[in-house]
This record gives sequence, C-alpha cells and structure tokens, in this order.
Amino acid sequence: MSATSAPRPVEPLCEARNVSHSFTLPNGRPLKVLEDINLAIFPHEIVALVGPSGSGKSTLLRILCGLVKPSSGDVLYHGQPFEDVNPGTAMVFQTFALFPWFTVLDNVRVVLQAAGYSASAVEARAQQVIRLVGLSGFEEAYPRELSGGMKQRVGIARALALEPEILVMDEPFSQVDALTAESLRAEVVRLWSAADRYPSSIVLASHNISEVVYLADRIVILSAQPGRIRTEIANPLPRPRSYHAAAFLDMVERLHDLITGSELPDLPATSPGRSPWSVEPLPQAGASEIIGLLEYLDSHGGSEDLFRIAYTTGRHFDQVIRIVAAAELLGFVDTPKRMVCLEPLGRQFLRADTELRKSIWSEQLLKLKLFHEIYDILQRHPEHALERDFVLETIIFRLPEEDYETTFRTFVNWARYGNLFAYDETRELLFLQ
Amino acid sequence: MRGKFVTALHYVVQTTTVDLLLVLALVGLLYGVVSFAQQWLFKYRPVAELEFTLWALLRYTLFSLMRGLLAYGLSLLFTLLVGYWAAKDRWAEMVLIPLLDILQSIPVLSFLPGLILGLSAAFPESNVGLELAAVLMIFTGQVWNMTFSYYYSLKCLPNDLQEAATAFRMGWWARYRYVELPFATLGLVWNSMMSMAGGWFFLMINESYRLGEKDFRLPGLGSCMSVAVERADFTAMSWAMLAMALMIVGLDQLIWRPIMVWAQKYRVQEGGSSLRVSSWFLEWLRHSRLLRTLMWSVRRLWSWRVDKCRSVLVSVGFSKAFKRSVWALSRLALVGLVSLFAYTAWHLGMLIADISWDTWLFLLSAAVLTLGRVLATVVLATLWTLPAGLAIGLSRRLVSWLQPLVQLAASFPAPMLFPLVLALFRWAGVSLEWGSILLMLLGSQWYILFNVIAGALAIPENLSEVARSYRMGLWTRFRLVYWPAILPYLVTGWVTAAGGAWNTSIVAEYVTFRGEVLAATGLGAEISSSAEQAQFARLAASVVLMASVVVLWNRFLWRRLARLAESKYSLSQ
Repeated sequence: MSATSAPRPVEPLCEARNVSHSFTLPNGRPLKVLEDINLAIFPHEIVALVGPSGSGKSTLLRILCGLVKPSSGDVLYHGQPFEDVNPGTAMVFQTFALFPWFTVLDNVRVVLQAAGYSASAVEARAQQVIRLVGLSGFEEAYPRELSGGMKQRVGIARALALEPEILVMDEPFSQVDALTAESLRAEVVRLWSAADRYPSSIVLASHNISEVVYLADRIVILSAQPGRIRTEIANPLPRPRSYHAAAFLDMVERLHDLITGSELPDLPATSPGRSPWSVEPLPQAGASEIIGLLEYLDSHGGSEDLFRIAYTTGRHFDQVIRIVAAAELLGFVDTPKRMVCLEPLGRQFLRADTELRKSIWSEQLLKLKLFHEIYDILQRHPEHALERDFVLETIIFRLPEEDYETTFRTFVNWARYGNLFAYDETRELLFLQ
Repeated sequence: MRGKFVTALHYVVQTTTVDLLLVLALVGLLYGVVSFAQQWLFKYRPVAELEFTLWALLRYTLFSLMRGLLAYGLSLLFTLLVGYWAAKDRWAEMVLIPLLDILQSIPVLSFLPGLILGLSAAFPESNVGLELAAVLMIFTGQVWNMTFSYYYSLKCLPNDLQEAATAFRMGWWARYRYVELPFATLGLVWNSMMSMAGGWFFLMINESYRLGEKDFRLPGLGSCMSVAVERADFTAMSWAMLAMALMIVGLDQLIWRPIMVWAQKYRVQEGGSSLRVSSWFLEWLRHSRLLRTLMWSVRRLWSWRVDKCRSVLVSVGFSKAFKRSVWALSRLALVGLVSLFAYTAWHLGMLIADISWDTWLFLLSAAVLTLGRVLATVVLATLWTLPAGLAIGLSRRLVSWLQPLVQLAASFPAPMLFPLVLALFRWAGVSLEWGSILLMLLGSQWYILFNVIAGALAIPENLSEVARSYRMGLWTRFRLVYWPAILPYLVTGWVTAAGGAWNTSIVAEYVTFRGEVLAATGLGAEISSSAEQAQFARLAASVVLMASVVVLWNRFLWRRLARLAESKYSLSQ
C-alpha cells in the first residue's frame, strides 16, 4: 500500500514524488539515505514518520521544507515546484535551534521581520502567538533561562508565527522530559484542531510509538539503509485520545509488530542488493550494552517483549533493537516475533567467569566474516599490526551501505572486549593480542 | 516625607554629577579629535619638537590613543569584510587564509620602511602620510588575530542555527545581522581587547624612527618615551610610562569592561556561567539622564529609519543579475590580490637576488642564534609561569583579583621597560648577546602565563578531588593530574609566546641607549639595523628568512605538538 494508490478527492498540499537522496561521504562515496519516496500531505491531517535511525526521517522532512535538495525526484507545493524554501512550511527543530542572544519575543519577531511583515504587524503577530502557546510573561526571558519544554514552546511559537499551511516537526519532544512532552502533545493537538486555517496539517518524525499513536492520523513506516516507505497505516482513533484506552493500546501493539517485522525479521535477510563479497553489518551497540541486555533477560526469566525492555530501561526502541540485533548476531539471543529469548550460549556466557566470557566472546566474533578476515590478515602480517585506514577500506568495500566510521568503532569495541585485537588510538594501529 | 526628599535630592545630585562629567568628557574628546586633525593637516614636519610638561604629556597621550583607536577602527573594518569574505567564498578562502597566515608571520616592523617612504611621498605637503604610516603600523599589530577569530566563528556557526535561518527564509542581511554577527560577537570582543593591547607594543618605534639619513618623529607617547630614553632622562621616562599605564587602565575600565558586560548576552553556552563580568562604569553611566535621552532619541530615529527600509534590507533577496555581479566582482578582487602578491614577491626576489652567498650564510647563522634565544625565552618563561599560573588558576580567590592585574601587566608594551633593564645590564656588566633573552622574555612571557591560568581553571573539580582523596603528594599530583590537563593550553601558550619572542627580537637585539647603539648578533638585530641604514636588500632577505623560519617552525613543530597534546590529553571526551 502506498500513499498514491488510494484515490483522494482532494488535492494534496505538498507532495514528494519519486524522491531519492544520497549524501557524499568524506571518502567521496555516496551514501544512499532515501530511495524512491512517494508521500503526499493532504489538508487537515497529522502525518507521522517512524523508522529506525538511518531511515532518513529527518532528511525527508528537510526535503519537504526545501532545506535539502533531493538528489532526484520532485517536491511540489500545491502542485507546483518551488525555489529555495517551501513557502508553505515552517519547521520545529529537535534541538530547538533558538537564537540564544535574543529574548523569547525577539526570537519570534526576527522571523516575522525576515518574512517582511510591517513593524506593527510584527508586534501584533508576535504577541498573539506567544499568548497562543502559553508563553505570556516570558517575553523578555532568554532561551538559556528556560526549561526544555518552554524552549520548545518558543520553537512552536516561532514556527506558527508565519502562519504555515504545514507545520513540520523533527522529533520535537525527544529532548523534553516525559511529562512535559505529554502536555505539549495535547497542546499541539489543541492548536491544530482549533486553528481555523493554519496550520492545516502537521508532519512529524518521531521515535516514540505512543506519541505517534496519540498525534497522527496517518503513520508512515520507513525502513533503514536506504530509507524506503515500507508501509503506511491509518489511525482512525477518535480524538481526544487517551493513552490508556484499549483501542489506543491495540494500535500501539500493532505498530510495534510492524516495526519489529521490518527490523528483526525471523528469517535471515537476503537482501538482493548486497554483493556476494559482503559481510554481516555490525549493529551499533557496545559490548557492555549487549551484556547488560543478557543480564536483564536473565533476571526477567530468560525472555521479554522487546518494547517492554525499551519501556523499563527508558530507552528508545530503535536503540534496543540495535542491541538485540547485535546479541542475536553473536548467537546469544533469539527473537521469535517481538520476544527476545536467551539462548543456551547466552546463559553459558552469563554463568562464566571473566576469562571464559572473553573466550566465548572472541570465539563468536571469529564466526563473523569481518572479524575473521581481519584476523587472518593480522596473523599473516609480519608485525601483526594493521593501519586503521586499511581496516576502514575493508569495511567500505564489504559494507558499502554502512557508515564505516560507526562500524569501525563497533568493531574495535567488540574486539577489545574479547581480547581479540588491541587498538592504539594515537598511532591508529590495530594489533593482534 | 523628609526621607523621600533626601532620596530625591540625592538622585538629582547624582544624575547631575554624572551628566556634568559626561559633558566634560565629551568636550575633552572633541578637543582631542580637533587637535589631532590639526596635527594631521599641519605643514609637513618630519621631526616634531617635544615638550615635557604635564599638559603636553596629556596631549601626547590623547594623540597616541587616537592613533590606536583609528587603527582599531581600520582593523575592525578589515576583519568584518575580509573575515566574512573568506568564510563565505570558497575561492577567497583558498587564497586569503594562507595569505593572512604569511602576513601574520612577517614581523610587524618590516612593513615600516615601505609604508613611510610610500606614504610620505604621497602626501609631501602635510603630516597625513607620516600619521597614516603610524596608524597602519599599529593596525598591522592588531588586525590578524581579529580576522582569524572572526573567520573561525563564522565557520563554526552551529548547524541547527544555520538551518533555522534558512527555514525561516532569512535573506542575506537578516542572516548576517541576526545570526552570524551575534554568534561571532563574543570572540570578536575578546580578540579586540587583546589586539588593542598588542597594538601598543611597537608604539615607541611607530612614532619615532630613523630611516637611513632621515629622522621621523610624531608627537605622541611613544616618541616621548623614545626621546626620554635617548636623553637618558629617567624622570621623563617614568612620567611617560605612568601615562601609558593610565591609558591602558582607562581603556580597560571605560571601554572594554562595559563592552564585555554588554557582550555577555551573546554567550552561546546554555546554563549559568562561573565567570561574572561587571563594570562599575556601566553602572555609573546608567545614572545619566543625558545618555538615556540620547539613547532614546537614537532608538526612535533608528526604528523610524528601519521601518522605512526594513522590507528592503531584511529580505534583500537579490536578483540573479546582482548575485552574478557580486560573484564577478569578488573573482576580480581575488585575481587582483593574487597578482599584487605575485608582483610583490617578484620584486622582493629581484631585491634579494643581489645578496651574496656569504651574506646569506651570515644571516642564516644569525637566524640560528635568534632561534636559540627564542627557545631559551620559552623555556625560561615556562619555568616561572608554570608554577605561578597553576597557583593562581587553582585558587578561586587568587584568580579573581590577580587575573585583571595580569591582563593589565600584559597590555603594557614591554619595549618601554627595556631602558630600565638595560641600565641594570650596564650596572651588572651583562652583554646584550645574553641580555636580549631577558628582554624577549619581558615581551612574551604573559602569553604562557595566560594559557597556564586558563588551563588550570579548566581542570574539573572532580580531578582535583581524586588527587586529594588518594593523598597524592604535590609532585605526583603535578605529574598525574595538572601536567596532562594543562598541556594543550601550554602548547598554545608556547606557540604564541614564540611568535611574540621572534617579534620582540627585532627591538631586543638592537637597542639605542643613551645615544649609543647596542646590538647582539641575531636576525632581529639584522632587521633593525638594515632598516635604520636603509639597506633594503638586506632587510628584505632578513625578513624573508625570519618569516620562513617562523612558518616552517609553526608547521612542523608547534602544530604537531598541538595535535599530540590535543589528542592525548584533551579533557573533553
């Protein structure tokens, strides 16, 4: 199912057609972040993009706003392409991106002035939006004096000031504490439904499943590397929504299943794009995190729901997914559906003393092609040492779609734990231990 | 009722006093500007007769101050234009940054003969040429680090702020005015303070110099000092030094402090800062009714004017044609710059071509000697500043009252102290070959001290606590905690101090004292003497040699050392 297949009677506000995008890595190679995205935003709806890191959610939002030009494909606003920045969007940033040298009021004013409002209109409009987001009394405060939640209110006020038809929010509440985030979400829905005209629609990227279910009418699930639209579901729950209603929880469950289905498939992935040379990608997780997961599972009876783990440890689910994927790659756990179960090897690992743990760990590492290959080369090398750049090149060659710096860091982290290789940071040399 | 009356009276008296003093200061300033302008337009008079009265000294101080401020104005203008250009235009960056790097390592004084001869030829009727030369000399001592700081600020503007500016459709001007300039302000203010202090360093020479047969002298504090030194008049010297010290304190208290307080609002770091900056002068100015009225009317005028042209200014969208012409203009300017540089280099090459091999060999050995002195200076300076800086930086109490004093001491131009030290050398029978090391130390030790203090301030509380809880002795604590923590700062200090020492060598290895010339063997002495005797080929060769040694040394030693210190001992993880 894709956005364009269902015929709609209304014309979309904004549309991405066959959009693909690649970044150029420092070594000159392109890294594909988005592939063939078709997405339309219709009047008066809230659309949420979810997906693991690396699925290009933020990039897609920036492409819709015109902040990033896609490598190929078109972005249309009311059916027309635009120059520079999309005239119908305003953005709320994950990091707030307020100007620290301006007061709350000036932060809003500046945006209006830049848009060419007259002096009197600037004053009137600024006061109006500040009242709207509940910042009255804070006009003369500087951003550094405000809490995260208040800062994001300024961010929202600034965006609304321009009366955008589409409000674009990039993980707006991920740097705000949980309770404040809850109240801000309610506020956003209130602003959106009370608005007679603007913002007509909201597009947001999020990591937080219940946030998405609470806010969105339509949920677009992206898969990673490169980001593609995997599926799209409608969220017909009536508003106001309650986090504890049975229907709400069902929706959360359904979304969980869809995401795990894409990120931890029960069958080994046979991606057609990968060459026969390629090796297993290393999920970005530290050794201590993997062991932490095993300990957690052990103390919770050997198996646990993936999203419960994320919930009780207070982490984003995509972080937990990475750790679980790493543990699975090393043969310590299995993941039937959404459950994470400790394998016998994992149990044996936990019962072992430090020495034995390290030998199990390194044994498992050598079953991975990347470690095995580097190990072989190191053994044959007269000084048993390799330069960092050599290893990086191997990674780039074997895993062209991964971020090689991250992979290298994970590689070193795992190898160090298993006493397999040592790495000298200053000389940038990898040694056999 | 009475209490109220007294308070009101007190208020009126206070505001009136402030206003009165302010008016007085303005009148004084006006007088200074007018007489300074007169001096410029006066009939050409290469050697000014100097008087040694209190009134004259005040006038000279004002003249030197005007030159410094004028030079600073030029530096600021240059910085805003060139720094912006280099940060925004990739081609300009590729040309300008290496060019500035080279200009920075050319000793300030080697610009002097060219400037004097060129400018006094251009304005044969009035003093404009000589004055301009003095101002430009001060300018070359101020400008480079300001420009570099501004350029780096613009280059590392946080990504999210840039994106926000784009997302909210800020035009070129709005982006500059509301985002880029505010972000760079704090660094610019800080470097302005440093530059202004650095600009005074060669004041004695900038205002009075000998070029071949000709003598030039402008009325000012520096020339006053030169004359006093020539006459070995210690009373006059002391007065001139006092005036200099007062000028520096005055500048700090009346100009830089208030500006620093104001600039605090451009801090980017969130959360409270540990260092509070305050200014009594700013507090005092707030009592002025006159100033308030003035500010109010300026603001009114501003908002009225801005309202008229805001829509034009803020959203200067720029047509394609305009953009293209700006682009073409900047390319043209770059080509012009490069060809000017090539032309100068070619001429320099022609000039140097006449130098014989023997002379080269001699200059090379002189360079080695001066290099030895520079290194000795750095070592000596480290020996005393390391313990002193640590002691100051690790104690909150000491730092709060010693740091401003250290700053003032550092702003005082060291060459003005040379005569005192020379008298001491004469008495103790020390030759300048060795004595010049001490003179160079006077000019460059502060950079190391500053950096050690900054490094000690940056040592996290928990590291000191660890050291204490394990009952480490002083030596162990130094070896395991303090040394690694301040090493990156120390390296920065070494680099700047070495640069300062090279620069000082020119005045330290060749001095005039009581009418006789004392000289040590060294590259600095070569530059000074060949400038004074108008031997331009020899001067050019010495300058090129010094600039190359400095650039190579920076590239191959200091930079490598800095990288090592940064990667191994950086406290940020």
